[in-house]
Amino acid sequence: MTESRLQRSILIVDDEWDSKVVRSVRKRLDEEGWRTNVVVPFDFIVSGDDFEAEALYAIEEDRPDGVVLDVRFGEHGSDRFKGLAILQKIVEHHPQLPVLMFTQYWKGPDREIAVRGTLKWDAQVDFIDKFASPEEVVMRLRRLMGTTPDTIRIGDRISIDNANEVVYVHDADKATPVTELHGLRFDILQELASTWYSSPGEVVPFAKLMRYTEGEDPRASIRVRIREIKVAIGKAMGVQFGAGDLIINVRDRGYRLAPPE
Amino acid sequence: MYATGAIASRRPNDMLRHIPALSIAKFTGLLILAAAIACFVLAPIIGEALFASIWGVEPLTYIGAALLTIGLAVLLFAFALPQALRRPSKQSQRDMQDWSSVTQQYFELFDHDLGRPLRRILGKERELRAYLRAAENGANGHIDIEEVTELLDEIEMQAPNFRLMMSNIRVLIQLEAPNASLEPQPVEVPEVVRRIIDRYNPVAAEANKSISWWAEPSEFGIVYSDSAAIEHIVTNLVDNAVRFANSQVHVWLTREDDRFSIHVWDDGEGVSSHYRPHVFDRGWTPAVARREEKTSSGLGLYIAYTLSIGYGGDLTIENDTTSGPNDHTTFVLTLPSHQPAPAGATAGEIS
Ligand SMILES: Nc1ncnc2c1ncn2[C@@H]1O[C@H](COP(=O)(O)OP(=O)(O)OP(=O)(O)O)[C@@H](O)[C@H]1O
Ligand SMILES: [Mg+2]
Repeated sequence: MTESRLQRSILIVDDEWDSKVVRSVRKRLDEEGWRTNVVVPFDFIVSGDDFEAEALYAIEEDRPDGVVLDVRFGEHGSDRFKGLAILQKIVEHHPQLPVLMFTQYWKGPDREIAVRGTLKWDAQVDFIDKFASPEEVVMRLRRLMGTTPDTIRIGDRISIDNANEVVYVHDADKATPVTELHGLRFDILQELASTWYSSPGEVVPFAKLMRYTEGEDPRASIRVRIREIKVAIGKAMGVQFGAGDLIINVRDRGYRLAPPE
Repeated sequence: MYATGAIASRRPNDMLRHIPALSIAKFTGLLILAAAIACFVLAPIIGEALFASIWGVEPLTYIGAALLTIGLAVLLFAFALPQALRRPSKQSQRDMQDWSSVTQQYFELFDHDLGRPLRRILGKERELRAYLRAAENGANGHIDIEEVTELLDEIEMQAPNFRLMMSNIRVLIQLEAPNASLEPQPVEVPEVVRRIIDRYNPVAAEANKSISWWAEPSEFGIVYSDSAAIEHIVTNLVDNAVRFANSQVHVWLTREDDRFSIHVWDDGEGVSSHYRPHVFDRGWTPAVARREEKTSSGLGLYIAYTLSIGYGGDLTIENDTTSGPNDHTTFVLTLPSHQPAPAGATAGEIS
């Protein structure tokens, strides 16, 4: 696999880079398979300006796929919103680079609107409040960076290798390919999995699944394919999936993935 | 217990403009001044004609001088009094008292409410500590990572509750002192919903429930509204739905020409019909109706409703008869989408 070349990296710019909050986010990003770098200033006593220079330098050096940036640097008046100045610089020099900005909770939405007004409408910038869970940070970054990884893991036991179009069922250290899942069945599962990856809970509408069908009754054909997918994965895992497991139909609008426990 | 009325709209200056005594005083002052001038003008004429001596002039001049002083004093009083009253007066002090008693009430309310998740967090934390201590002493053999993780998860799950309460406080205070309303901004409603679901998915999973959502049409496009308000309203609805659901929560978006709606449904018992007229009241919960002690603040829907109306929309409850025999309910938020007028429209059509 080409994992190392494609491993994505995230740069974290936060004066509290060693705090528990930042550490828990880093840990979660590691689990995600993303490499994290933090901007650590050389001197012990640093000002917001040092961070700005370091951050811009690190972006040039590392070429990260995304940046997580804090609004606030230190307690000093002039550094209070240093992050916003750094943001402006990043957007100016690297307009395509996704930036996720940590905001102070209380001032969140208003400040967000104020900052947005100064940026280009299509700038890849998003805001998240500092009490957000690491899980939320990951979800935002997934959407902000906008690409689907080569391998999507669904729960503990299923993975989808998108590059080679193979579905695996994992048992301890053993990975068994589910050979029945190819062609349209693979395509449907991949569509459901990539939606789930960036937006769990979102229903993939029938209209979107129609393109993976043939024959006269597309809905019926999708229903059949989905049943086949569930049976195939269930067989490999040694379980039987019911209507409310793995892939569920929501009010006949479409389907969504529900990772097994 | 809950103060009502818009405190911010009651201003002390409005009242002062309507005190009649002040107008009378001004009028009297002018009259006295006129009399004083008359005295000065008439003094030489009358004095010369009647008394033919300098002595006779004196009384009228004195009277004129006295009247001038009185007249100026009355006028000064009449014009200066409102200025003086504009500084903290009894009236505005009373307004301050109203305001601070409302703030006080909110504070006490939230003080109690914020205590609830905190107590839960502390409870779990102590349970965890006791567990670890027992493990250390060899009482239960080894530390079961799964058990520890479970306790930690339960602690973590208090966070969304806390955050919702914090934003409820913020919005409540803003509602009492409304600022100039913001210009509608372009909003991607599906993304707003996605963020709420990001936050509540773990909470739902913890309780073995799940949230599904979709948009009709799936290419929903952009509306012009206030994303913070939408997020706040829908967070309250989803928070309730996740709490009251049996196992499923559905959220879906629809849009019409000039408005869009967000529907939040759960498969729980729903709100029974005799409670429906009350759910949007400030501080109402079924516990209030049953005269029991409240276990939640009952502010979420009040705030959500007030915000919806404030933004020119509506928040309603729909009975859901399609999804089975139970009395499920759907909350529907509808807001104007403020579409910019199409190019070529005359200026008059743009509102
Ligand atoms: N989805 C629902 N299903 C059933 N009952 C509901 C639902 N949503 C609200 N209710 C009822 O309406 C009451 C008021 O809801 P509201 O959100 O205003 O307050 P709360 O949830 O009790 O407290 P808070 O939101 O302030 O923490 C709730 O206590 C509950 O009894
Ligand atoms: Mg509520």
